[in-house]
This record gives sequence, structure tokens and C-alpha cells, in this order.
Amino acid sequence: MNKEESINEDVKELVIARLDVMPSNYKLSIGDMGTFTKDDLIKHVRASDSVGNQIVKMQFNFIKALTSGKLIDTLNKNG
Amino acid sequence: MTHLIKMGNLLLVTRPKYDDGTEYLSAYAMEIIKEAKKREIIVKDFEGPQANKKEIEKYLKLKNPDILFLNGHGNEHEISGHREEIIFSLENINLLKNKIVYARACFAACSLGQEAVKNNSGCFIGYIYPFSFWIDSKWSATPLKDKIASLYLIPSNEIILSLLNGKTAGESDKKSRKLMVDNMKKILAMEQKKEPGATLMLQILWDNYEGQVVLGNEEVIFKKKNFDTSSAST
Repeated sequence: MNKEESINEDVKELVIARLDVMPSNYKLSIGDMGTFTKDDLIKHVRASDSVGNQIVKMQFNFIKALTSGKLIDTLNKNG
Repeated sequence: MTHLIKMGNLLLVTRPKYDDGTEYLSAYAMEIIKEAKKREIIVKDFEGPQANKKEIEKYLKLKNPDILFLNGHGNEHEISGHREEIIFSLENINLLKNKIVYARACFAACSLGQEAVKNNSGCFIGYIYPFSFWIDSKWSATPLKDKIASLYLIPSNEIILSLLNGKTAGESDKKSRKLMVDNMKKILAMEQKKEPGATLMLQILWDNYEGQVVLGNEEVIFKKKNFDTSSAST
């Protein structure tokens, strides 16, 4: 496994851990991909299909916003 | 700064309804229709199966409304109506030119929106990412009571509401962003109380925040034109 694949696997595990604690009555609507329960989403992330990859991509964006300080700046600017 | 004022009295809304996502978008768009009517703006509401290409094209050519609120699914090149019938694509992009468009649809600002504002004075507000939101399925029969979904959908409604209130496209985007940030803070407070799922809720709202863009003329304003409304179609 190369470094990039290893990061992807780590992020996938993080996403799954976060999905796992979502209340079971919550569903995520992602445009025309559909509306998914947390169990559906975990399956998609494990399968690395288009829905799963979209969730992982969102996680990457969020991590980038956190680590770059962009999220904090945004919250402070609009405070 | 010079504002380009679009005088008009017509708001076109598309509200396909055939899955959880579009049911929610439709319910929240209905709130905008009520607000528009309070302001004596004439609303042409393409609801459910009426959100089809033939009827919408016909109306646009006949009435030429200045402001369009499009709800539904989308991709980089298309915006769909009922049961994913493509309503707008590069083929009929001229219908979106010189207009104020808010497309609450995934990815529509990527290519379609860019083309819509090319070489004209219109504005296209939309998303370069998927427009996503969490739903509390306990409230799926009554979406407006769903406090989780409202964290995402009320800030997006604010765009069109601000436009109807005479704000510029740029100001409307800013007001919507302010509400998104307020809601991010609410979610962070939930996280501090160790409420489950708050991090993922924040992540999705952040994605909508980052994905929302204003293309074209940010200074455009919609102003209601007063005229006899008795002959207009509603």
C-alpha cells in the first residue's frame, strides 16, 4: 500500500467511525445520489463506490478546512 | 457602486417532488412562495409533474420572468425537474441568460452556471459541490418541523428571500453564509454537549458553505414592478 492509499484508508476509517455514532434516525440527502441511512453510508464507504467516495471527499475537504485554519477564520469573521 | 436593477413581478419556482431530497426542497421552497405572495410578487409554481421541460420553456418564452428559483437534482451540465427530466442544459442555456437564477441543485454552478452568465448581465447562484443535508426521519412527513434539515435549508432559502427583499445577489449570498455560520456555531455547541453526530453535521454544512458561489453580476437587484396583476398567470 502506498502513502496515498494509506491516507485514504485512514480517512475511510475516520468517516466510518464518525458515521457509526450518527443517530440511526438521521439520513443524509446527497442530491441525485439519493438519501442514505448511516448503515447505507458505511456500506458505500467500505465499497469505495461513488457515494462512498463522495463522503470521503467531503471528509477530506473538512480536514483541509480544519488544518488550514479556514474553518476557524470563517467562524471568527462572522462572529 | 452601480447596481443593475431588474424590474419585474414574476418569480418562477420549480418544485419536483419524487424522493426524500426533492420533497424537502419542495417544502422549504413553498415557504418562499408564501413570502413572495405576501410581497405581491406573482409566483409561477411548477410543482411535481408540472416541473417538466415543455411547460417551463413555454412559460419562460411567454412571460420572461426575471427571477428563477430552481429546486431539484443537477450535475455540472444540467438541472432536472420531476423524475429527473432534464429541464435546463447547454442546449437551452439562453433561457437562463440575463436572469437572476438561484439553483438549489448539485454541481449546477460548475459548467451550466458559468455558461448562463457568459456575455450578459445576469447572475447565477448555485453550487460547485453537491447540495447535501441531514434529515431527521422522524420528521420526514413534515419537513418544516425537522430542526436538523432546517440547519441547511433555511440558510439556502435566505438567498432567494434576500433577493425578493431587494438585496443584491452578492448581499443575498452573504446573508445566507452568515446564517450558515450561525448554524455551524449551533452544531459546535451540540458537539460540546457530546451530542452524537455533530461533527458529520458540521462537515456537510461546511461543504455547502464552500460549494456556494455567485457567478456573473453580483450587483444585480430584483425590484418589484407594480402593474395590474389581474391578467397574469399564477
